[in-house]
Amino acid sequence: MGKRAATCCKKVTAKKEYRSQPMAVPATLSTLVVLPFVAALLIAAFGGAQRWVHSGLAAAGSAIGLALILSVAGPVIGGDILSVSAPWVPAIGLDFSLMIDPLGLMFAGLIFGIGLLVVIFGHFYLADGEATGRFFASLMLFQGAMVGIVISGNILLLLTFWELTSLSSFLLIGFWRHRADARQGARMALAITGGGGLVLIAGMLMLGIVAGSFDLMTILQSGDIVRASPLYPVILILILIGCFTKSAQFPFHFWLPHAMAAPTPVSAYLHSATMVKAGVFLLARLWPVLAGTELYTGIVTSVGLFTMLFGAWAALFRHDLKGILAYSTISQLGLLVMLLGFSIEMAAVAAVLHILNHAAFKAALFMTAGIVDHETGTRDIRRLGGLAKAMPVTALIATIAAGAMAGIPPLGGFISKEMMLYETLEISLFGLPWLVPVVATVAAALSAGYSLRYAWQLFFGRPRDPEPQAKAHDPAAGMWISPAFLAVLAVLLGLAPMLIAAPLVTAVSSAVIGRAVPEVELALWHGVNTALVMSIIAVAAGVLMLWRHGTLLRLYEGVRHLDAKHLFERGLGMMDAAVRKAIMLVHRPSLQRMLFATFAVVALVMAEGAWIGGGSLTGTREGLPASPVAIFAWLLLIAATIAVLLNERQRFRVLIYISVIGLIITLGFIHLSAPDLALTQIAVEVVTILLLLLALNLLPKTPPVLSRPSRRWRDGMLAILGGLGIGGASWAMLTRDPGQTISSFHLANSYSGGGGKNVVNVILVDFRAFDTMGEIIVLGIAGLAIYALLDTTSRGTAGERLRTWQEDMPHSPESHPVMFVMATRILLPLVLAAGLFIFLRGHNEPGGGFVAALVVAIAFMVQYLASGFDWTDSRRRIGEHFLIAAGVLLAIATGLGSLLFGANFLTSAFGYFTLPLVGELELATALLFDLGVFAVVFGAVMQTLAQLSHISQRAARAHAARSRASSAENGA
Amino acid sequence: MMELGLIAEIATSAMIVLGSLLALIGSWGMVRLPTLMERLHGPAKATTLGLGALLVGSVLYYQFYKGQWSAHELLISLFLFITAPIAANMIAKVHLHRLRQDRAKAGPAGTPPAPSEQSDWSTFEAPHSDTPVATSQE
Repeated sequence: MGKRAATCCKKVTAKKEYRSQPMAVPATLSTLVVLPFVAALLIAAFGGAQRWVHSGLAAAGSAIGLALILSVAGPVIGGDILSVSAPWVPAIGLDFSLMIDPLGLMFAGLIFGIGLLVVIFGHFYLADGEATGRFFASLMLFQGAMVGIVISGNILLLLTFWELTSLSSFLLIGFWRHRADARQGARMALAITGGGGLVLIAGMLMLGIVAGSFDLMTILQSGDIVRASPLYPVILILILIGCFTKSAQFPFHFWLPHAMAAPTPVSAYLHSATMVKAGVFLLARLWPVLAGTELYTGIVTSVGLFTMLFGAWAALFRHDLKGILAYSTISQLGLLVMLLGFSIEMAAVAAVLHILNHAAFKAALFMTAGIVDHETGTRDIRRLGGLAKAMPVTALIATIAAGAMAGIPPLGGFISKEMMLYETLEISLFGLPWLVPVVATVAAALSAGYSLRYAWQLFFGRPRDPEPQAKAHDPAAGMWISPAFLAVLAVLLGLAPMLIAAPLVTAVSSAVIGRAVPEVELALWHGVNTALVMSIIAVAAGVLMLWRHGTLLRLYEGVRHLDAKHLFERGLGMMDAAVRKAIMLVHRPSLQRMLFATFAVVALVMAEGAWIGGGSLTGTREGLPASPVAIFAWLLLIAATIAVLLNERQRFRVLIYISVIGLIITLGFIHLSAPDLALTQIAVEVVTILLLLLALNLLPKTPPVLSRPSRRWRDGMLAILGGLGIGGASWAMLTRDPGQTISSFHLANSYSGGGGKNVVNVILVDFRAFDTMGEIIVLGIAGLAIYALLDTTSRGTAGERLRTWQEDMPHSPESHPVMFVMATRILLPLVLAAGLFIFLRGHNEPGGGFVAALVVAIAFMVQYLASGFDWTDSRRRIGEHFLIAAGVLLAIATGLGSLLFGANFLTSAFGYFTLPLVGELELATALLFDLGVFAVVFGAVMQTLAQLSHISQRAARAHAARSRASSAENGA
Repeated sequence: MMELGLIAEIATSAMIVLGSLLALIGSWGMVRLPTLMERLHGPAKATTLGLGALLVGSVLYYQFYKGQWSAHELLISLFLFITAPIAANMIAKVHLHRLRQDRAKAGPAGTPPAPSEQSDWSTFEAPHSDTPVATSQE
C-alpha cells in the first residue's frame, strides 16, 4: 500500500525534501481538470433546459474549481509542488500526470476566477433565444483544456490540452454560425493557432528527446543539457512559433482582431485573460530550460518589442471598441513576451505581475465594451461619446480599467509598467543599449494614448450620434458586477500590492526562474529614477496623442496598410490551388482512369513478382479431382461472364448474368464446405440485386457509348492481364502447401476460448472482434456517406435534373399487385423468425449478425418493393441513422463492458442456459456485439434503399406538382 | 429392425427420385413449350412440387438415419409455396403487358380474354377504391 501510494502520487517540494502528502491532493488535482469537462457534458445533456441551468452549471463548475485552487493555494505558495501521476501510454512516455506549482496555481486561479465572472456576465449578455447550452458547454470545454495546459506535469499531456484549446476556441469564435465573419474568424484562428500547435508538437517532442523525458519536472531540471544540445536552435524556434501563434505575436497576430467576431464574453475570457496567455505561460514555464542564450534573448525580445509597438500603434487608430482592445491585447502580450525574453530575473517578476494586472483590467475593459454594445447597439467609437451621463457605473469601471492599462498611478498597471521600463534599461539589443528603452517608452506612450482615447472618446465630451445615445443606460447589476469586481482588483493591485500580490508574485517568479528570487518589493513610489521619468514622458505623450488624435488619424489613414487577412487568404488560396493540382496529378476524378491505374498496378506487381520470384507457377501441393458437376459449374461461370460482356449495353440483362455468377460462386462455397460464406454470399447477392434494380431504374436503360474502340481494346487487354495476374497468383498460392497458419489456432481454441463451434463466427466476434468493430464503423460511415452523397443531389443543377426525371419504362396502373403485397406481408414474420434463428445460432453453426441483418433487410426491402416506399416508410419507427449509431455504440459498449470485469477490451464471456421449449441455449457477450453488427449492417442497407428511393419519390412529387400546376392553369 | 430400415430406405429414395423427376419434367417443359404462358407451368408447378418432394425426402432421411426431427424443410417448403406462385404471377402480368404492346407472341389459345364485359385484367387497371388492394395506395 505504502509503495503504491508512493508511485502513484508523489510530492516534490521546491527544496527537494520529501514530506508526507495529504491524501486529498491527487483527488483535488484530478478534479480540477475533470470538473470543467463534467460541467460541459452536463450542460450539453441538458441542452434544452432554461438558460439559468446552463449558466448555473458553468458557474458552479468554475466556483468549485476556484475554491479548490484556493484550498491548495497556501501550501503551494509556501513552496510545495503538488503532483499526481498515473501511466497512460507508458510506451511513448505519456503519463496522465498533473502538477501544480505557483505558476500553474496563478494561471488556474485566473482561469477559474475570470471564468466565473465571465459566466455571470455571459448569462446577462446573451440575447433571448441564443443557444446558451452550446455556448456554456463550449466555454467549459475550453476551461477544462486551459486548466489542463497549466497543470499538466507531462508535456505530451500539455500538447493534448493545447490542441483542445484551439478546437474549443474555434467553436466559441464561430458561435454565431450564421455570420460569415464569425466563421472566417474562427477558421483563421484555428488555422493559425492549430498550425502553431502542430509546430509546437515537433518542438516539444524534440525537447523531450533531448531532455530524455517528457516529464515536465525532469525537463525543467535539464536546462543545461538542452541549451548545450546541437538541436537547441531548432527546438527553440519550433516552440517559439507555437507560443507566438497562440499569443498573437507578430507576424501571427492577425487572427486575434478577427477573433473579435466572437461574443464579447468569449473575447473577455479567451482573448484577453486566458487562451492568448497560453503562449506566455509556456514561455514562462520553459524559461529555465530555454532562456538565457543570446539566440533566445534576441528573438523573443525583438519579436515582443516589435509586437508591443506595432499593436499599440494599430490600436490607436481602430474605431471598433473590440478592435481597439484586440490590438491593445496584442501589444500587451508583446510586452509580456519581451519581458520574458530579457532573460533577467527581475524582468520575469515584472512579467508575472503584469499578467495579473492585464487579466484584471483587460477582461474588465472587454466586458464594458460588451455592455456599451449591448445597451447602445453599436461598437463604433466614432458614433459614441459622452456616455458618462447616461451610464455612470459603466463609465467609472471602464475609466478605472483604462487608467490601469495606460499605466496611471495609483492603479496596478502603473507598477508593472514602471518595472518593465526599469528593466528595459538593462538590455541592449543588437548592441544598441538605447534601442529597447526608447521603443518601449514609445510603445508605452502609444498604449497610454489608446487607453485614454478609449475612456475619453467613449464616455466624455459631446455625444456624436444621437441614435445610440438615446438608448444608452446602465445595465442591470448582474452585467456590471463582474467588470466592477475586476476594476476594484485593478485599484487594489496598485494601492496594496504588497498585501494582495507580493506573496503570489514572489512564489510565481521563483517557479518561473527555477530558484528563489530576492524579496520582491512592489510599491507605487520608488523615488525619482529613470523609469519614473520614462513613465511620465509616456503618459504625457499619451495625453498629447489624444489631444491631436484627429491629425494623427489623418496621417495614419493617408498611408496604405497591408491587410494581413487579405495576405493570409491569398496564401491559403494559393496553397489550396497547389494541393488541388497535386491531387489531380495522382487522383483524376474518373472511375475509368482510377480502375485503369489499379489494374495496371496489379498486373505490374504480379509480373514483377513472377519475374523476380522465378521458379514454377505451379506448386507441389496435390490437387483434388474435379467432379463433372464442378466442371459444368466452371463452364457456366465462364459462359455467364462472357454473356455479361456481350450484353454490356443492356443493363437489366447484365444483372441477370451477374446473379448467375453469384449463384455459382455460392454453390462453389457449399461444395468446398464453407456454408458460412455461402449463406453470406447468397444474402449479399439478393440485397445487391435489389439495390441495383433500384439504381438502374434511375439510369438510362441503354448507356451511351463513352469510349473509342482503341481505348476499349486497351482496357480489354489490361483487364485480361489483370485477370491473368490474379488468377496466376491464386493458382500459385493454392497449389502450394500453406504450412503452419493461424487457422489451426483458431480451430483449436474456438470452442474452449470463444465458446462457439462456428469458427468463422468466433473469429469475427471474438478472436478478431476489434477488426470487426473497425469494419462496422467503416460500414456505418459508408451508409452515412451514401446519405451525404445522395441527399445533396436534391439540390442545385443535379437536383433539378433528377426532379424532372421521368420513368422511361411503361408502368402498370396497378402499381402494387395485391397478390404480391399480401404474400410479402405473410412472409415478413416468417423471414423475421428465420433471421432471428440465423442470428442466435450464429455462434455455433453458420449464421451470425451479418447474415441475419441481410436476411431481415431483404424482408423489409421486399415490403418496400411490394407496398411502395411511402406506405412502408410511414409504418417504420426506427430511423437508419439511429440504427447505425446504436449498433456502433452497442459494439463499443460490449467491448468496454469487459473492462468492468478486469478483462481486456472486447474479451467475451459465455454461459449455457436452458429455456423451456427452446432447449439449451448458449448466451455469450459476443452475442451483444453481434447485435451491434446486426444493427449497423441493417441500418446501412436500409439507408441505401431509402436514399435510392428518395430520388424517384422526389421526382414523382415534383411531377405531381407540375401536373397540378398545369391543370390549374388550364382550368383558369 | 431390418424391415424398418428397408422401408425407410425405399421411402426416402422414392421421394428423391420423384422430386428429381418432377424437377426434370418442369425444366424440360420450360425448354420445350413454345410460348411464355405455357412455359410458365413448368417451373411454377412441376418444379415447385419436385422441390417439395425432395424436401420431404430430406425430412425422412434425418428422421430415419440421424434420428432427428427436422422441421427446416417444412419451413423451406412454406417459403417456396408462398413465393413461387407470386413470381409466376408477376411474370404473367409482364407478359400480358408485352402482348398488348406486340412485343410477345400469344400462345395457341390466343390472347387471354377480358375477365368480364366491364373490366379488364387487374394489371391494366388502377385499383378501385374501397377494395383491399387500395390499402397500399397512398
